[in-house]
Amino acid sequence: MAEILTPKRLTIKVCVGLAVLAMVMCLCALVGTQKISLERVFVGPGNEPGQNTDYEIFVGVRLPRVILAAIVGAALASCGVVLQAILRNPLADPYILGISSGAGLGAIIAVLSGLTWNFWGGSPIAVFAFAGALITVWLVWCIGRLTGKAQVTSLLLAGVVVNAFFSAVIMFLTAIAKSEQVFSTIFWLMGNITEKDPLVLWVGAACILTGICGLFGICHNLNVLTFGEEQAKGLGVDTEKTRIVAFGLAAFITAIAVSLSGLVGFVGLIVPHGVRLVFGPDHRQLLPISAVIGGAFLVAADTIARIVVAPAQLPVGVITAIAGGPFFLLLLAKYTRKVGWLK
Amino acid sequence: MRGIIEVENLSFGYYDKTILKNLNFKVMQGTFLAVAGPNGAGKTTLLNLLCGLLKPKNGSIDIDGANVESYSVRELAQKVAIVRQEFVPVFDFTVTEVVSMARTPYLGILGFEGPADKKHISEALEMTDTAQFASRPLANLSAGERQRVFIARALAQDTAILLLDEPTTFLDLKHQVGIYDLLKRMQREYSRTIVAVTHDINLTIQYCDETLLLGGDSSYRYGSATDIFSSQQIEKTFGVRTFEGTVGKQRFFLPIGKFAKANQITNGKS
Repeated sequence: MAEILTPKRLTIKVCVGLAVLAMVMCLCALVGTQKISLERVFVGPGNEPGQNTDYEIFVGVRLPRVILAAIVGAALASCGVVLQAILRNPLADPYILGISSGAGLGAIIAVLSGLTWNFWGGSPIAVFAFAGALITVWLVWCIGRLTGKAQVTSLLLAGVVVNAFFSAVIMFLTAIAKSEQVFSTIFWLMGNITEKDPLVLWVGAACILTGICGLFGICHNLNVLTFGEEQAKGLGVDTEKTRIVAFGLAAFITAIAVSLSGLVGFVGLIVPHGVRLVFGPDHRQLLPISAVIGGAFLVAADTIARIVVAPAQLPVGVITAIAGGPFFLLLLAKYTRKVGWLK
Repeated sequence: MRGIIEVENLSFGYYDKTILKNLNFKVMQGTFLAVAGPNGAGKTTLLNLLCGLLKPKNGSIDIDGANVESYSVRELAQKVAIVRQEFVPVFDFTVTEVVSMARTPYLGILGFEGPADKKHISEALEMTDTAQFASRPLANLSAGERQRVFIARALAQDTAILLLDEPTTFLDLKHQVGIYDLLKRMQREYSRTIVAVTHDINLTIQYCDETLLLGGDSSYRYGSATDIFSSQQIEKTFGVRTFEGTVGKQRFFLPIGKFAKANQITNGKS
């Protein structure tokens, strides 16, 4: 009999993944326009400010940004896994149910309104994007339920319609906005990881990690749910409850990720597929491994975005799309679940 | 004596159309029941009612002494397993992964299988002769092999009642007989109650204890397969003439179409 996943095997895989993530984060934090030495970083801050700039750049500037990229990548990849499962659609990503357009609309309203206040370290764009994302998801959920209990198709359709409508409103607002306002919004819409207030970073990280842990609790049910409503019920899964928990947590996590970094595309689509191709579709390992790989992928992409046209910076969404596509095709060509030693 | 399945005055329909009307029958534990009838007679609907997926419009269904609606989804999945018709999953699960899903109603909060679960999975794979391709993705198997995997999953669910919706569709003769032998073994050795929707009258007569024949016009007949099936009854229910023969004391029926060679031999008479 083929091996069944055990907690021990899963723990080993996740620990190896976390070690790789830590290495990627460390290496990427050392890379940038200003060269810094790891030895100098370990010396510590020194007695006075400015005494050890290597340490200050590493700890004060690059490490928070790398951590932000890691948690946003983990959030998007794990939400991609969950939405692909509950919608039974391999093309689903965290933005499929209108989150992107809702957040985008919130962001552009914040920019046009000219607000400058600060809410717990969050800018008006972040706060409005978060609210816009959640309101849109709630709207899509309500529309999806109006059409009946078989929600998968109706949810997808509602998401597509709401996305199209809000995208039109975004285009209208962009057309009537001033050029400097348009520039900052477009940069945000393409996915933009920048330094964040530490409070925002840690609160966001805590919420995302808690959400991912919550999603892990329903992973076995997600396996069964990919076989459809009837089969899942026959195997003892409360499909309605599982779907509400999965949808609610995924929407919440994505909304936080979007408010932290704008619309970073592709991570939520290709990372789950890449991990599935190599490790198989069992969600008990697909979710945690995708989260780890998603984090590492976005950290690496953000580092490339920082240095490729230095001193200017590219939106990270550009890199995830350019690098992610060929990387995914490579995986697709190389693996079709033939890598027994990784499973 | 109490039956493990008791159906009383069961009625069900879709929109204005009544499919099942005042259905009454009782299935004792360890019985092999065949549900037969023409397309659209309500065979699959009946299975969906028995496993709690649909709610009766009138009447009641008791499973193991309690109304089917009184069980939680998880509790019911520990009593009733169901094998549905041909299905290809969206994602590339292996045979072992699919069969291990049968243990879902028994798993703890983290959802990992323990030694007892693995024993059930392993036995089910062996019994259905699917262990040989346990590590292959389900989508890479033939339709017949996939059907055997889903039967393995139902066996691994370790329930007293096994519902099967046309379990031998897509199977070659060897595997058709193999599946019925397996189900008979489950009935005899493990006292499982088996309810199988089938279109194969001859296998029904050979293997099943009881038959529920749904007429397609809300009528039904319940009894032993030998009593239920006759050429006249088959022609009335299915609109097809049959040639009736015997092997020892067992009867068999050969359906005869307008252009069938047997039609010439029998000169159009049943």
